[in-house]
Formats: sequence, structure tokens, C-alpha cells
Amino acid sequence: MKIRWNPIVKKDLKVAVRSMRLSWGLFGYEAVLAVTFLLAVQIIQSQNGVFAPVTRNLYSYLVYLFPVIAVVQVCIVGVYMPVITASSISGEKERQTFDIMLTTCMSPFSIVFGKVMSAVLRILFFVAASLPIMALSFVVGGLSWRNLFYFLAALILFSVFAGSVGILSSALCRKSVSAVLLAFGIYLVIFGGTFVPWMGRMIIDSDKMGESLLPLLFNPILFFEEFFAHMMMGESLFGTQGYRFSVRETGLVTHLLSRDSVWMFVSGGCILALSFLFMGIAAYKVNPLHAGAGRSGKKQGRNA
Amino acid sequence: MLYISHLTKFYGSFPAVQDLNLHIPEGDLFGFVGPNGAGKTTTIRIVCGLLRASQGSVRIAGTQAGAGSREMKRLIGYVPDFFGVYDNLKVREYMEMYGSMYGMYPREIAKLTGDLLELVNLADKKDVYVDTLSRGMKQRLCVARALLHNPKLLVLDEPNSGLDPRARVEMKELLKNLHSMGKTILISSHILSELSQMCSSIGIMNGGRLVTAGKIEDILQQAAGGVQIHIQVVSGMEQAVRLMKEQAAVVVESVRENELIILHRGTDQELCRLIGDLIANQVVLTGFHREEGDLETLFLQLTGGAQ
Ligand SMILES: Nc1ncnc2c1ncn2[C@@H]1O[C@H](COP(=O)(O)OP(=O)(O)O)[C@@H](O)[C@H]1O
Ligand SMILES: [Mg+2]
Repeated sequence: MKIRWNPIVKKDLKVAVRSMRLSWGLFGYEAVLAVTFLLAVQIIQSQNGVFAPVTRNLYSYLVYLFPVIAVVQVCIVGVYMPVITASSISGEKERQTFDIMLTTCMSPFSIVFGKVMSAVLRILFFVAASLPIMALSFVVGGLSWRNLFYFLAALILFSVFAGSVGILSSALCRKSVSAVLLAFGIYLVIFGGTFVPWMGRMIIDSDKMGESLLPLLFNPILFFEEFFAHMMMGESLFGTQGYRFSVRETGLVTHLLSRDSVWMFVSGGCILALSFLFMGIAAYKVNPLHAGAGRSGKKQGRNA
Repeated sequence: MLYISHLTKFYGSFPAVQDLNLHIPEGDLFGFVGPNGAGKTTTIRIVCGLLRASQGSVRIAGTQAGAGSREMKRLIGYVPDFFGVYDNLKVREYMEMYGSMYGMYPREIAKLTGDLLELVNLADKKDVYVDTLSRGMKQRLCVARALLHNPKLLVLDEPNSGLDPRARVEMKELLKNLHSMGKTILISSHILSELSQMCSSIGIMNGGRLVTAGKIEDILQQAAGGVQIHIQVVSGMEQAVRLMKEQAAVVVESVRENELIILHRGTDQELCRLIGDLIANQVVLTGFHREEGDLETLFLQLTGGAQ
């Protein structure tokens, strides 16, 4: 079977590649990474002189360049994805091309999914261009190349998530600006809100967490923290080689999850599931035939 | 072919369309006329599955599913009243994108694109960027796009708005062409004369209601209570008037020196028989003609002069 591209992905990429916006975006992205890189090198060098034993090889510190640049990339993706996707549906609505799409055989979900995917691919374009900088950590820092592959997978997962947050906001808000703001509001709820049960639990009884850590499975921040802890130190936040939460402290489910890298994979699955849930809600919201669908709104540019 | 029954749409508590019943037969070029705000766009959007009806249903003959179903979407090609295009996309790619949205294969799309662009007179614009086309060209491209999946019903909302006179003529020719090719077409406009020249049937909407609908001649005949016939009589006028007054389906409107004007309510065959009777009764006539009714006046009457 031949894989058929989602028509929206194909069109969006074609249009994006031909516009100057992409070039400027690429320039900005690379610029931020380059500045980060230089700063990091600067810091490592100065630290080497002051704190580190002289015998340690300077290059061994370059291994830490990777997480620094990677985290910066994750942050850029987290900010940039909702900005692209939040305006994508309102952009089509303004041209009324959204209506035309809805009259074709594309289901609302495949429209929403296509919009997210085209944004993910655009981001990947940036990420691909940043590979040389990241590769430095691997060449001189001696990290395993497999880690780079894992990082890319994690970054794609995160960009799908960030894109789905953006598209959900886009489906809920009429204006692009409010959609972007809403997207960051959703971030706040997921990044911060998932800590609430655990914090509550700690106040009541700091010895017994119960399963209050489970909501954190949906938290991408923790997912990446776990990811880097694993990659750089071979440890899990929920159970290092030396110490693991006991069943009594956490309850069975969390205890099972804290083994090796189980938490990371389950968390990745949860975040992906959440992304699809968001896209599903967005698809429901943009479907004009659903009861809960927003009004098509006052049309602009109408001439008598 | 298209059946709309008891269609009602409320925006909040404002009724944009009320209890609309309409049947458009296959092969018809049907015109929806009405002043701005009459509810044409609302009706069309419901037919195309872009809006949920408050009540009532829309069906296309041969399908069980209603408006908005995938089955029905395949049967409808929609050209919205206002639409934009994408920058940085070529005409060919534009067609390709929409074709693939109907699950068509690239080769199939490429072939149809060639044919359709020929039809809408854009064959030489295949590799031009869509946003550089003129308004009229974009409109025709949109028609070509709407025809890509070979729909049974083509729906156009105000296709002439914003077009210059020349582009209007081209659009009219295109639609007539499509009509003669057997497509069923539903078109809306707030300008009656645009439609009356090309449509076989029209529906007049006002304030959310369908005031009247049907073949143009029928609408006029109904409204005037019959068809006005002018008969040029050379001699035997008294005889003619007497004969006419005997007929139940005829009202004598006026008698002039050489012209008899009657209002006839009935079929064309009955009218022929009537004329035959006149001649058989030694009335000498040099000619007769059917007076074309004034649709414009009727339209103004029906829509309360709002325009
Ligand atoms: N989204 C909407 N919300 C509220 N009222 C609307 C909306 N769209 C249209 N209307 C109202 O419904 C009526 C019919 O509009 P429309 O179908 O666009 O008329 P037409 O196309 O015949 O000009 C108008 O009075 C218009 O103001
Ligand atoms: Mg309208």
C-alpha cells in the first residue's frame, strides 16, 4: 500500500517552504541555538579554570552541552508550536477555505490532525538544521548516538503535544491572539496543575504519597526531566539504583512504574494519548454539525 | 433531486430561515433570489453541511444520509460567496490538493484538472500562482475545483458578487454550459435579472421564507392569474370578443382597434385550440404573441420593494 499524504500537510509544507517566513524562522531558531552554544562553552570553560580539577579533560564537559541545547530546543518547540497551530484554523476560517475543506471528504479530525502534523514537520525542519550543533556533543563529548535518536523521538512526541494544545485553543477561540494565550493557559494547567495532587498529599502526610504522583505522567516537564536523568546519569527520578520508593510509600501502580525507564515510556504514552484527546476535542469543536460547535461567526469581507 | 423539507434555522431566537420546502429536479438550473439577509446563504450552508438546521431535513435523491454526511458531500460541489486563496500555491497544486481531499489519485486529478481548466477557460494558467489571478479567474477556478469530484449538484452562493461585467458574462456562459451538460445547479443572487436570463426555475426568498418557487413562466402566470396574450385582429373583432367571452379560462383585458388582449389561464395546448377556434370562426388575424411578464415588478411586490 502506498502511503498517502494528508492533503493539508502537503499543501501547508509547500506553502511554507515557499514563503520567507520559514527562512526567517530558521534563522531565528539557529541564532538562539548558536548563542546558547557559545554561552554554554563560555561557562564550561570558565568553570573549568575555577572549580574543576586541572587534570580533568575540558572536552569531557562538552557532554553537558547536549542537554543544554536540547532543553533550549524543547523550550523553543513548546513556545513555537502553539503559535503556528493556534493561527492555523483561524487562518483558514478567515479565507473561508475552511468551509471548502469541510465540504470535501476530509473529516474534521483529519483536518485538525493534518494541521498539527504540518506544524510538526515544519519544526522538524528546524530541528534537522540544528543537528550539526547538537552533533558536537556527540563527536567531542562522547555521548552515544542512540541518545540523539531517542531525543528526536521525544522531541517529536512533545511537538505533537504542543501542537495539539495549540489546535485545541485555535478551535476554541476565534482570534489567533486569544488562541495563543489560551494555549499557554493550558500549558500552565498541565505543567503546574499535575503537581497539585502530590503537593496536597505531602501537606497531609509527607510519608505516604499514595498514587498522587500519577497525574505527573501527563506532565511533559517531568517526562523530559526523567529522559535527561536517564540519559545523562542512568537514573530515574522515581527510583535510583540506590533507592526506590517502597510500595508502602507510593501505592502499587507508582511503585511498578518507578522501575527502570518504565515511567518514561508510560508517560510518553500518556502524553500522546492526551494529545489525541485534545485533537479529538478540537475536531468536535470545528465540526459545524455538532451541537456544541461554535457559531461560524460574522463573516468578513462580504460585499453586497 | 434535491429535497428540502420544513427547513428552519434560528440564530439564537432570530429565524433566518423558516419552514422552507423546495424540490429541485435533476438537470435544473435553479436560482435563489432574494434581498440581502433573506436567508439564501444560510439555506445553502445547511445544504452543504456547514450549518446545522434547527429543524427540517435536506436530502439528495438516491441517498439515505442527510446534509453533512460524507455520502452527501460527494454529491455536492460548493462555491462559497466569499473565499480567499493561498499565497504561494499554483493553480495545478490547488486542484491537486482538493482532489486529494476527495481521496482521488494524482493521475486522475491531473487529467481532470486539464479538462476542467479548459472548461473554465483557465487552461493557460495551470502553473500560475493562485493569488495572482483576477477575481473572476479565482471564481472560475473555484467552480472548476467544485467540479473535481464530479458532483451531481453544484451549489454557488452569489457567484457574481464582486465581479466586473465581463467576468459576469463569462460566469454566466460557464454556468449555461454546465447546465447544458446536464449538471444540476443551485445558484443564489440578490439580483434577479442575473438569474432570470439563465435559470430555468427560480425561488424567491424574503425574510427567511420562500415566497414562491417554480419555473419562471409558471411563477409569472400564477402571479398575474394567467398569461397575457396579444392578438392582432384585422377583421371580425366582435366575433373574436364574443368567442373569447364564452371561454371560462379567458379574461378579456382590453379591446383596441386592431388588438385584442386576453389573459389566458391554462395549458399551451388549450391556447392553441383557442387560436384555432378564432380562425375557424372567420376571424382574420395577422399574429399573436405572448407578453413576457415583468418578473422584476413581481419580485419587488413579493419582497416588499426591499432592494
Ligand atoms: N452567524 C450568524 N449569527 C447570527 N445571525 C446571522 C448569522 N448569519 C446570518 N445571520 C442573519 O441571518 C439572516 C440571513 O442571512 P443570510 O442567509 O446570510 O442571507 P442572504 O445570504 O440571503 O443575504 C440575516 O439577517 C443575517 O443577519
Ligand atoms: Mg448571502
